[in-house]
Amino acid sequence: MLVITRKPEQSIVIGGEVEVIVLGITKDGVRLGIKAPRSVQVHRREVFEAIAEENRAATAAKGPIQDAAALLRATQVRKPHVR
Amino acid sequence: MTPDPATPPGTSPFPEGGALLTFPKGLVGFPNLTLFNLFEPKDSYPLKFLQSTETREVSFVCVDPACVKKDYDVPLGEEEAQALHLESPKDALILTMVVIPEDPRKMTTNLAGPLVINVKTRIGFQIVLNADKFPLRFPIIVQD
Repeated sequence: MLVITRKPEQSIVIGGEVEVIVLGITKDGVRLGIKAPRSVQVHRREVFEAIAEENRAATAAKGPIQDAAALLRATQVRKPHVR
Repeated sequence: MTPDPATPPGTSPFPEGGALLTFPKGLVGFPNLTLFNLFEPKDSYPLKFLQSTETREVSFVCVDPACVKKDYDVPLGEEEAQALHLESPKDALILTMVVIPEDPRKMTTNLAGPLVINVKTRIGFQIVLNADKFPLRFPIIVQD
């Protein structure tokens, strides 16, 4: 891993088109500004971890899903609208 | 016309035996699984299985989110729209992952990580959305 020391208002450039700027440092954390083309997605790491966790949980259906499906049909399935 | 909740709409773009789908980037947390069979077991509407064809023991339960949240729309980024080669919004099939706990009344679906599939090319991606706006655990069953 590359480790760089930056002061507020200093930045690093990644791949020529992504810039990460240190906006400020407080006792609660570091504020970063990110300049990137619209095609580059920027997410907090926690979001990926949370989605991975939900994916893992979606693999662990306990018992047949028919019971859950029947419950779903009985309570509130709405006809998918035409997109 | 009042929709009959017990009747599947019968407009599934895929054959009954299932459809082989490719997720070139895998799924979040499962980057190495790229080939899946999407099928609906008997009496399971509206739930579906996304079964890995590479690792038999991995299969995901998913649902068409339109069945559980009518106004759900996926804001597709430029990168994703390009990768999907979508010519028309009609070609997009959206699915969300479903978690069925021991008490199925507490079922949830993840609206922050939808699967968007081009039904023509059968190529899909799992999209990562802002979890502040799209709940990771949206309750499916409306509790009275």
